[in-house]
Amino acid sequence: MNASTKPVRIGVDIGGTFTDLQIFDARDGRIVAYKLPTTPEDPSIALVEGIKTAGRRYGFTLSDVGYLMHGTTIATNAVLERKLPAGALVTTAGFEDVLEIGRHYRREVYSIHPQPVPALIPRNRRFGFHERMRFDGTAERVPTEADIDAVITQLAAVDIETVAVALLHAYANSDHEQRLADRIRKALPRLDISLSSVISPEIREYERTSTTVLNALLQPVVRAYIERLGARMRAEAFAPHLLIVQSNGGVCTPATAAAEPARLLLSGPSGGAMAALELARQFDEPNLVAVDMGGTSFDVSVVRDNRLEIVTLSEIDRLPVRLPMIEIRTIGAGGGSIARVNAARQMTVGPESAGARPGPVCYSRGGTEPTVTDANLALGRLDAATFLGGAMALDRDAARAAILARAGDPLGFDTDAAAAGILRLTNTNLAAAIRVSLFEKGLDPRDFTMLSFGGAGSVHACAVADELGIRRIIFPVDASTFSARGVLMADIEHAFGRSGVRRFDGSAVAWVRSCFESLKAEGAARLEADGIAPDDRQFELSADLRYRGQAFELSVPWGEISLDDDGIGEIGLRFHAQHAQRFSYASPEDAIELVTLRLAAIGRMARPQISAEQPSHTDSPTAGRRSVYVNGQWQDVATWRRDAIRDSLEIVGPAIVEEDYTAVYVAPGWSLARGRDGHLVAVNNEELA
Amino acid sequence: MTTLDPIELEVLRNALTAAAAEMDVTMWRTSRSTIVREMLDYSTAIFDADGNNVAQSARIPQHLNSMGYFLRTILDRFVPADLWEEGDVIISNDPYCGGQHLPDIAAFRPVFSGGRRVAIVGTLCHHLDMGGMSPGSYAANATEIYQEGLRIPPSKLFARGVRNDVLWRLIAQNVRQPVAVMGDLQSQIASLGVGVRAVEILTARYGADTLIASCSAMLDASEAAMRDVIRAIPDGAYEFEDFLDDDGIDVARPVRIHARISVTGDTLVVDLSGSDREVPGPINATLGSTSSAVYFAIVAAADRPIVPNAGCYRPIEIVAPEGLIVSAQHPAPVAHRLAPGHVLLNVLFGALAKAIPGRLPAAYYAVSYVCSFQTMEASGARKVLVEIEVGGCGAHPDGDGASAHSFGMHNNASIPIEMIESSMPITMVEYGLAPGTGGDGRHRGGLGLRRAWRIDSQAATFTGQMDRFHFRPFGLDGGEPGAVGHLDLIRDGKAQALPSKISNMPLRNGDVIRLVTSGGGGLGPPSERQASLRRRDREQGYLME
Repeated sequence: MNASTKPVRIGVDIGGTFTDLQIFDARDGRIVAYKLPTTPEDPSIALVEGIKTAGRRYGFTLSDVGYLMHGTTIATNAVLERKLPAGALVTTAGFEDVLEIGRHYRREVYSIHPQPVPALIPRNRRFGFHERMRFDGTAERVPTEADIDAVITQLAAVDIETVAVALLHAYANSDHEQRLADRIRKALPRLDISLSSVISPEIREYERTSTTVLNALLQPVVRAYIERLGARMRAEAFAPHLLIVQSNGGVCTPATAAAEPARLLLSGPSGGAMAALELARQFDEPNLVAVDMGGTSFDVSVVRDNRLEIVTLSEIDRLPVRLPMIEIRTIGAGGGSIARVNAARQMTVGPESAGARPGPVCYSRGGTEPTVTDANLALGRLDAATFLGGAMALDRDAARAAILARAGDPLGFDTDAAAAGILRLTNTNLAAAIRVSLFEKGLDPRDFTMLSFGGAGSVHACAVADELGIRRIIFPVDASTFSARGVLMADIEHAFGRSGVRRFDGSAVAWVRSCFESLKAEGAARLEADGIAPDDRQFELSADLRYRGQAFELSVPWGEISLDDDGIGEIGLRFHAQHAQRFSYASPEDAIELVTLRLAAIGRMARPQISAEQPSHTDSPTAGRRSVYVNGQWQDVATWRRDAIRDSLEIVGPAIVEEDYTAVYVAPGWSLARGRDGHLVAVNNEELA
Repeated sequence: MTTLDPIELEVLRNALTAAAAEMDVTMWRTSRSTIVREMLDYSTAIFDADGNNVAQSARIPQHLNSMGYFLRTILDRFVPADLWEEGDVIISNDPYCGGQHLPDIAAFRPVFSGGRRVAIVGTLCHHLDMGGMSPGSYAANATEIYQEGLRIPPSKLFARGVRNDVLWRLIAQNVRQPVAVMGDLQSQIASLGVGVRAVEILTARYGADTLIASCSAMLDASEAAMRDVIRAIPDGAYEFEDFLDDDGIDVARPVRIHARISVTGDTLVVDLSGSDREVPGPINATLGSTSSAVYFAIVAAADRPIVPNAGCYRPIEIVAPEGLIVSAQHPAPVAHRLAPGHVLLNVLFGALAKAIPGRLPAAYYAVSYVCSFQTMEASGARKVLVEIEVGGCGAHPDGDGASAHSFGMHNNASIPIEMIESSMPITMVEYGLAPGTGGDGRHRGGLGLRRAWRIDSQAATFTGQMDRFHFRPFGLDGGEPGAVGHLDLIRDGKAQALPSKISNMPLRNGDVIRLVTSGGGGLGPPSERQASLRRRDREQGYLME
């Protein structure tokens, strides 16, 4: 029985604190969620444990599992913690320092001791290769055998596991990189090799070199993880079809992940964005701003016209990564963000976070500084007894004492006012992040519905929406494991790019065609290897274009347009229109330049057929009432269990809706009801100002 | 005055900063030129009703603090506050009306609530061209401001929402790339509109009184923080000086920049009277430019983060008699006003280092290496490349200086080699660190860099505007100075040294221009450098080869 015929498909999202699972079982058409603490020493431990435990709870065996879709931060963490093996870099001779100099501007304008990010490969392991390619792919200097030998000798003399090769203009002609790689493979077979012409064949030497170096250093790391995971699964006789989540929202095979691990680097928040896209389509809400608030960070992604925005350059810890990824804005604001008051009686919230350890004061794990979670608990928005489904008792008195001592007394406030101040500052910070995310794309928050998920966000959603003039919020089912649902719904995706700066007119037709054909052949071969049937393959071409003289590009989807003179004219028109939308002007009289051609080769996975979830029937739909601090006073407020909310019920704020790992605070002026598939929808009923 | 809720004050502070950021995004999103999009050479700010800067979004240090000086001068000397009406947009680029140099146009718009002025919003943008004798309005051989371009005195470009079409056309008619320039000016106006709306929303929500009182409290808080910083500096007078190589007109005469900083309690006086007179060449700075360097130096030198706003400036007095290189008077040319600004920053750090040892770095390269090429092909096609390069940062008490990294008064990104070669007939021959250029010391100065351009077209011209070819970036506390920079023409295999300021030098096919930039000064005696760091420097090839 192959993967597509087995009944169970699992999406796993491994975060810093929790490992989240969403499990689809075709036998009853339901999706269930499970959550357990992450095992940082080896994340595969919690992954396999979680699947086994969930199987016992929900009635499936390991042999029922077909696809296992896996989101992992293994590559991300290795870079952040610099737990990377020794490697070497080969560049065009005379340009060995490009990696160290970078783009040489500083981030902190007032800094008097700027510390540029150290090069991941030091100067004495960066070797110059006597060759030179021109921008048009012709060679100015062809390397001799002696030139190649010289590099091999240098590589053989250093103690390394992996080598990156990034030569000038290799995106236009990979011949010199390939020739060198062939010889390295023969002479030094133990080394991993990453070529810039394979990993990121795009113009701009620093960004391409940085991406290639990251890839080279991650190859041994990711391969070792996949081997460990494989061994652990074999020990359990567990043999699912494993797929790994990439930064662009698609999944890839373990073999691709091990060869091109840089593609995983920014995959952490992509699961949430993918789930948002899926939900936007289901709900017929083409404009959705998705906000994911966890313990330490707040991620904003934007679905516009049923599409996620893809960017082709991002960075990790100040190191550029030039690969396609979902555009996500992250700020350091979460439940663990610390509130402080300075000598000038000025209160700040974050970006310092208490993280999971010591965590908020109320976790009783040694935290002493009040956090956003402490403030929510202090004001009754969270419940000490039911947090994490009652798995973790919270110390409300300790939270209130810390808020009074660290924030209230310095400000001359009582505990309630100080806690309300923490929440108010948090909400305005979150709203500002959302506003800028939309604003920079030329969009208005009032045209959007908010989608709130993550463990810490739903208590803030109404207040943040009020700040922005957003009048509708969706709280999805299993909000705290929502990212894992995005993982569960992913398709296989291989992304390719080829740079070749040229005028975008009839003269580009031949190059575009041949590029498209070769990329498509490459993509088809990859999908064949993935076991994707021809009918399930899809190829999406796009072109990165700019006005001549500009130094940045816009990506224009090619869609169904023909690859000829007329097609290029049509794509040009779309470029003008897209430019006008994002930058408020177009210059139809100016020449357009093509910089990079991109192809996404997508292998469509069968969509789980989910049957609508029914609320469980309980005798008392209202869990109870408790005292909650609302608009400056304590009020007796109704609390509901989420799974008890039926179709006919309308909950009017102020109210609290509790679920296992999170709580929704329905603010005054808002009402909430059960919508499609069990997702909750809150609406602001107040007259527009 | 109403008592302010500290939470509300913080919410308003964040909201004003967010409003400046929204203005910033609007500028970026709607502008036309690469100077805005790539070099990010613009700023946006929000001022209180009296013109004090309360929130700013700035990317280039020279812009920080500069708009406030400009606005103050306009209000005091040209357009008094009671003449500002709802819907007005007031612009100027004139260095002798509070500005810095002609390419920078500042635009301001007042915000009213119930007929009362509650705030002013402003934008500053470096424009592609303002006319004058050379493209980009950056002539290296101008000797009076009339040669540098169009001067716009403080004027209402919009009066009560109605555009002054005569002024608009006058500008468009006098600049080289009117579509880009007027487009960027349009972006400034759009950005002001966004700022006005943001402040109006805040006023509607919190009330004009609260907004005004909050702005005042924010200024007071930064002033108090700045006074704390100054109080921690021992009372006394601290002097330092350094030199610019020359002004490009009289190449035999160095130009002195001298500062005497006097600290008394919580106030600080920066006396620049010992600096040289203004010079014929375009390396003069107006007092507006000089103030930017002074304020930047003091805020950066503070031992704690300070929210930068106009309150920071209150405890600082600048003394500079008219007609010095740092207080140039009409009609001195000022296009390269950053040249004395860079050196002044080093001088101020040098003086402050005597007062607060152990906090400040040794001298950085302190020059914007402006390299401009125009290639000419047989077909007659001409293409222009302008690059601004950097050098090594000074060693800091906490460690070695950064190598080849933007520091001080500017903040430039490099241009990718592959982009240059794809767009014009130039091939880069080398690009890397310059070993041995960092001053030795307990902490070593950062390395300068090497960059070389080969001309592949039939002919070309080269214009260079740089400095630090004679005077080495100084070391501190016994550290060695960094190396000077140099510029060579390599023709037919033979190298020939070029001066630091050179205009329209003809080049031919195969010629190579090679620049080596200064390293930073070292800090502390070289004898105290750790053996392990020396070993690393040797292994990594950071020392002279």
